[in-house]
Amino acid sequence: MNRNYIYLTLLMLILAFGTLMIKKTNEPKQIEPQQLLFELIQPTRYVSTDQVAKMIIQNDPSLELIDVRNSKEFEIFSLPKAINVPIDSLISKNSLLNFGIPGTKVVFISNDDIAADQVWILTKRLGFKSTYVMKGGLNQWIETIIDPKSPVESDPALAFETYAFRKGAQLYFTGAKTENAEPAKVKVEVQRKKKSGGAAGGC
Amino acid sequence: MGPLIPNGIISGNWDFVIAILLGIAFGFILEASGFSSSRNITGVFYGYNFVVLRVFFTAVIVAMVGVLYFDYFGWLDLSKIFILPTFLTPMILGGVIMGVGFILGGFCPGTSFAAIAIGKLDAVFFTIGLYGGIYLFSIAFPLFANFYDSGNLGNVTLTDITGISTSWFAMGFTVIALAAFWGTSIIEKRVRKNITEYKF
Repeated sequence: MNRNYIYLTLLMLILAFGTLMIKKTNEPKQIEPQQLLFELIQPTRYVSTDQVAKMIIQNDPSLELIDVRNSKEFEIFSLPKAINVPIDSLISKNSLLNFGIPGTKVVFISNDDIAADQVWILTKRLGFKSTYVMKGGLNQWIETIIDPKSPVESDPALAFETYAFRKGAQLYFTGAKTENAEPAKVKVEVQRKKKSGGAAGGC
Repeated sequence: MGPLIPNGIISGNWDFVIAILLGIAFGFILEASGFSSSRNITGVFYGYNFVVLRVFFTAVIVAMVGVLYFDYFGWLDLSKIFILPTFLTPMILGGVIMGVGFILGGFCPGTSFAAIAIGKLDAVFFTIGLYGGIYLFSIAFPLFANFYDSGNLGNVTLTDITGISTSWFAMGFTVIALAAFWGTSIIEKRVRKNITEYKF
């Protein structure tokens, strides 16, 4: 046997043994505090319930709804296609796999927007991009999409447009019946042909 | 720093360039290790030539230990590399079919191309069969599509399943591989003594 093989074997053994000495730093990588602060003071992380509703209705494939409430609340009510990642199990490998997928926009949802905001800060700090918070959370969702208030007459035209959209969205999400469901009553009138007196010309 | 493409250091368009360079290097090393000879390859099965086992085990343990050091030095982020999803039963069956084909044909797909490159006729026929097999597989795929996708364990590693740390696995695997090198050289010597019709 060639002596070089013995050296190589020993070298490989030492290298493999060395991997046991490597200390793993389990700290996740984080972004700089200044950058986090910069992102934090911008309101751009908020998306409105209208925007979310629009994306759901249009079946936008880039939308990824993450519901951060606990699974009990999630089962009672949740938005269509939302994924449940409870806030207390956020920092686990399986949960974090949901974030940072190229081309997706992650929108966090909670009852109000406090828990969602907390999750947003954590994920931002872990360096995930394209994460958003649904402004007002599910409470706002109920108020605006499920049970929209009609604007008063003095409101600007935009308010009426939003209301019209919300009414449509309400139909989409609740399957509620339209208000003018009653069919207009049409009187059926049979029109009889008046008998003409005698032959009117012809052959 | 790495992996280069997911970290945006080079763009994804380099994929093919890297693939070609790696392919050339792989083919060169296959040929240089004698894998273009089906006698060398099937030798593992008959016990007279374990060069395949040695080359592949060397590649595996060097890469494995190397990757762990790269991760430690911060050159490669191990959490970002792609892990092939595990489909347990289909993979076992696939392995068995591959092994039978190995002994029967004397090549694996990669080595058959390396052998064609140096002009081996048996490799040409092997490759024709290979493409025939791919064709039949594609046509018959709906028949076993369910089995093909069954038992998906996801992108798991042995560390995920057993909880034993990566470095212990690396250590254990290296010891097994090195022991196999010495063990197989003893088997080789004994088997070769009894072979008369084939000279080495």
